[in-house]
Amino acid sequence: MSLDLSVVVPLFNEEESVRPLYAAILAGVEPLGVSFEIVLVDDGSRDGTVRIADEIARADPRVCLVKFRRNYGQTPAMAAGIAEARGEIIVTMDGDLQNDPADIGELLARMDEGNDIVVGWRHDRQDKLITRKIPSRIANRLIAKVTGVPIRDNGCSLKAYRASLIKQIPLYSEMHRFIPAMASIAGPRIAEIRVRHHARRFGSSKYGLSRIYKVLLDMMVIKTVASFTARPMVWFGLLSLPTLAAAALALGWTCYTLAADGRMSLSIAGTGVIFLTSTIMLLAAGAIGELVYKLGDLREHQFSGLTQHLLVRGVADHD
Amino acid sequence: MTDIASRTVDLSVIIPVGNRHASDLFALCADYRSGLDALGSTYEIIVVLDGPRPEVAADVQRLLAARERVSVIGLTRRFGEATALVAGFQRASGRIIVTLPAYHQVRGDEIGKLVRALGASDLAIGRRWPRAGSRFESMRRDAFHRVLGSITGQRFNDLGCGARAMKRRVLEEINLYGDQHRFLPVLASRVGFRVLEMELRQSPLDRFDGAYPPREYLRRALDICTVFFLVRFTKKPLRFFGMVGVSTFLIGAALVAWLTLDRLIFRHPLADRPALLLSSLLVVLGLQLFALGLLGELIIFTHARDIKDYQIEEVVRYPALESSATEAREADTPLGPVPAGTQPRIA
Repeated sequence: MSLDLSVVVPLFNEEESVRPLYAAILAGVEPLGVSFEIVLVDDGSRDGTVRIADEIARADPRVCLVKFRRNYGQTPAMAAGIAEARGEIIVTMDGDLQNDPADIGELLARMDEGNDIVVGWRHDRQDKLITRKIPSRIANRLIAKVTGVPIRDNGCSLKAYRASLIKQIPLYSEMHRFIPAMASIAGPRIAEIRVRHHARRFGSSKYGLSRIYKVLLDMMVIKTVASFTARPMVWFGLLSLPTLAAAALALGWTCYTLAADGRMSLSIAGTGVIFLTSTIMLLAAGAIGELVYKLGDLREHQFSGLTQHLLVRGVADHD
Repeated sequence: MTDIASRTVDLSVIIPVGNRHASDLFALCADYRSGLDALGSTYEIIVVLDGPRPEVAADVQRLLAARERVSVIGLTRRFGEATALVAGFQRASGRIIVTLPAYHQVRGDEIGKLVRALGASDLAIGRRWPRAGSRFESMRRDAFHRVLGSITGQRFNDLGCGARAMKRRVLEEINLYGDQHRFLPVLASRVGFRVLEMELRQSPLDRFDGAYPPREYLRRALDICTVFFLVRFTKKPLRFFGMVGVSTFLIGAALVAWLTLDRLIFRHPLADRPALLLSSLLVVLGLQLFALGLLGELIIFTHARDIKDYQIEEVVRYPALESSATEAREADTPLGPVPAGTQPRIA
C-alpha cells in the first residue's frame, strides 16, 4: 500500500539544520494521523549532511535518503525526491528551516478540498529587503502575468502536490520555481495559503541576485513551451504571419512598379524574396515541430486525465 | 569466446584497433600484459577491429593462440573509435574497464599506476608526461586544451591519450558515438562522475615527427564545436539560440526602423537602398534562429522523461521495504527503470 504523504526535502550543506528539521517535520506531521515518509535528498553536500541524514534514516524507517553523486542543483534534487516518493500527496520544502513544517497540516486540509496543488505564500517574509524581497516581488508579478498562474510567491518551496500529477510533469533545468506554471498544462486546481517564514538560523543563502536573469529566461521558455507544445504548426504559422505580410507587401510593390513603368527595384524585390523564404522555412519548422511532438512522449490528453472531474450517473466520483 | 564472456574478471582491457595502429600488435599486447600481470588482478583483453584489418590478421591469430583470455571483435566497416569501444564494452565482464590505444602511447608498466589511481574516482585518464615532440606540437596541443577548457570549465591536458581506466557505470551511463571517445572525460564529469588525470610515462616508441595535415587541424576545430554544442546547447537550446536570435533580430529591426524613418522624414527612397536587404536578412535570420531554439526546446520538453540530468549515488532506506510496496513504486515511477544501486538496502 502506498502512503498518504511524502515530505521531500532537498539538502545542500545543511549539517546544522538536518536534525532540527527532522524534529520539526515530525512535530508537524505526526499529530495529523496520516501515514507518511520523509525523503531527504542530499544534493552532493560537502559537509556532514550525509552522515547526519544517514543516522536519522537508520534510526527511523520512515526516512529515506537519496544521495546524489555531486551537486546538481535544486530542481534535480526535487525531481529525484519526487520520483522516489511513495505518498499520494507530496509536500516539498526547503532544507534550511525557513519553511515551517507546522503548515503541512493546512496544506493537506486544502488538498482534501479537492485541489491538486497548494502553494505556500510567505506573506511575512524574513529576508533582506533589497536583495531578496523586492526582486522576488517584481519577478513574481511578472511570472503571474506571463504564465497566467496567479501565484503571489513562486519562490516558496513549501508546496503540496497530488503525486499522480506531479510525477507526470517534466522537471528539468531550473524549473522548480515554476512547477505550478509547468503543471498548468494539466489544468490543475491551485490554491494558495499563507505560511510562516522564519529567518535563516544556520548556514548562508545559496542564491544571489544573479539568478533573476535566469529565472526570467526560464519563465519565457516555460511560457512558450507550455503554450505551443501541442500545436507547433499553429504557433509557427503565427510567427510566420508578419514575414508573410512583409513579403506580400514588397513583392506586390515590385509587381506594381513592373506593370506600371516596366522597372523594378532590386532591393525591394530581394527583400520580398527573403521574407517569403523565411515564411516557408518557418512553416517547415512548424511541420518538424508537429513531427517531434508526435514522436515525443508527452500527450495533452494524458494530462487532462490527471485532473479531470468525472460525474457518472448514480456515482459522483472525482480524481 | 562465449565461455570467456561468461566468467567474471577484475579488469576488462579494450583495445580498439583503428587506422593508426602499431605494426606489431602482438608485441604491443605483450608490453601491456607485463604491466597488467604486475597488478595481480585477473583480466581479459578485448581487441576490437574497427573495420576489416587484414594486415593484423596474423597478430590476431598469435594473440588468440596464447593461453590468456583474449577475445577479438571484428566490425564489418569502420564505425569510429567510440563505437568500437562500446562494442568491446558490451562483451566486457570486468568490474573495471581499461581502454588502451592500439599503438604505443604509454609504457606498459605504467598501466598499473593508472588502474590504482582510479581509487575513489570513476574515471582515470592518462596524460603522457614528460612528453616528447616538437615545441610547435606542444603549443598546438596546449592551445587546443585551453580552448576546450574555457568552454567546458574543466582543464585536461591530454585528451588524445587512449589509456583510461574507469568503473563500469561510466560506460553504462554515457552514450558514446562517433569520435566522442576523446571527450569521454568531459562528458563524464559533466554528468557527475569524478575524473582524475594521471601522469604516465610516454612510451619510447610514441614518436610522431612529421607535421599533421591541415585536415587534422580542421578536425580539431570541429571537435571543439561539437563539445561546445554538447555542453552549451543540449540542455537549454532556447537560452542559446534565443539569445543569438533575438540580438540578430533586434539589430535588423533597428536598421529597418532607421531606414523607415529615413524614408518618411528625409524622403530618401527605399528602392535604391542595399541596406534594406541587409536589415531584412538580419530580421529573418533572427527569426529562424529563434525558431530553431524553439524546436530544440520542444524536443527536450517532449522527451524530458528520458533525459535525466542527475545521477543518484544510492537510495538508502532502513530497513528494507515489503516487496509489494517496492513493486507498486516501480510501476508508477514515470522516470523509467530504477537505476542500479537504488535497490533498498538491508541494514
